[in-house]
Amino acid sequence: MNKTSNQKAWFFVIPVFALVAFNAVVPLMTVVNYSFQETFGSNVFQWEGTRWFKEILHSERFHSSLGRQFIFTFIILLIQLPLGIAIALTMPKKGWGVPVCLILMSMPLLIPWNVVGAMWNIFALPDIGFLGNSLNSLGFDYNFTQQSGDAWFTTILMDVWHWTSLVVLLSYAGLNSIQPAYYQAAEIDGAGRWDIFRYIELPKMKKVLTLAILLRFMDSFMIYTEPFVLTGGGPGNATNFLSLDLVKMALGQFDLGPAAAMSLIYFLIVLLMCWVFYSLMMKDEGRT
Amino acid sequence: MIFTNLYASSWSTVGEPKEKGLFDFDFITWMAWTWPTASFFIFIALCITVMYFWEKKVPGGSPRKGILTLNTTRGDRLFVSLLSAAFIHLAWLGLTDFNLWIATFLSSMFAIFVFKYV
Repeated sequence: MNKTSNQKAWFFVIPVFALVAFNAVVPLMTVVNYSFQETFGSNVFQWEGTRWFKEILHSERFHSSLGRQFIFTFIILLIQLPLGIAIALTMPKKGWGVPVCLILMSMPLLIPWNVVGAMWNIFALPDIGFLGNSLNSLGFDYNFTQQSGDAWFTTILMDVWHWTSLVVLLSYAGLNSIQPAYYQAAEIDGAGRWDIFRYIELPKMKKVLTLAILLRFMDSFMIYTEPFVLTGGGPGNATNFLSLDLVKMALGQFDLGPAAAMSLIYFLIVLLMCWVFYSLMMKDEGRT
Repeated sequence: MIFTNLYASSWSTVGEPKEKGLFDFDFITWMAWTWPTASFFIFIALCITVMYFWEKKVPGGSPRKGILTLNTTRGDRLFVSLLSAAFIHLAWLGLTDFNLWIATFLSSMFAIFVFKYV
């Protein structure tokens, strides 16, 4: 069979190319340009070479916000993955409970980030908020606006509330795609609940769980709006994550050069993690 | 020219009126182009062009299982080379005070290694 070569369809891709050029390529090129220069505005630039990169790489402030970011992401994954899988395992597989559970689970995912931040801010206020007031009346000394531990606790709780559902929904989809024959075979072999989970469900969920880890890693690593509204990076610098610090540097201090260098380093870390997860996901696939 | 007039050559000339070049349009001055950053992007564009012609000559992307036990094609290898080049340069800037061109040399050595074995 002869295939006719017709490349005219590429013309239909031109609008997408133009769009991506305007909202991604041109800004990224500009960031690269800014990261080597100093400016005070008015389109006047002064060449600085690799100075900003050196400064950022040696800066205590960058190290601590990067460290905070990694710790935050690590805690988020550590809580949300097991919790998400556990909830997915207890969800009903048929009957009226399925739609009820699915809708309940999707609700937090549908709320805009800034609304989540505002909700939790009010919810956790030590004097009038339900969470803050209850904790304080129970005898805990809780004040997320003044104590860094409480600020971390609230931020993590908020993220768990907002995003565990995503892990639940993915795991649930993975669990539902397992053929009943596997469970029947396990029953004949006399496998216990743990064995079924360990040797059937977990291996079958490997793909969706890798996807869940990738999505949760990326989202929590680039988290901005929720902590910005909830704590604003405070108290002090306690919850000043990388993206918050970056915006403070770029827009608060108008240090465009160092901020551009910092965002490029940030971008490279994200790119590296994406590649690692992508390779892990594709490892067992027969790619052509 | 497009690049030379878009940034002040030193702090003493900041605020002085600039001579307009042939391609010195106002709508692009905010991008702050310089020759070094432009040559970086020209290099990337060249890489992609070379990959295009390489693919025309040897179609299929020569997929294989490299030493990382990953299935990689030519494009994957280019991506890995470029990404590791970025990290080698950053590590060089962060950890040493030597000339940055040594890092560029190391990166190109590493890229050859990646294209051969990964």
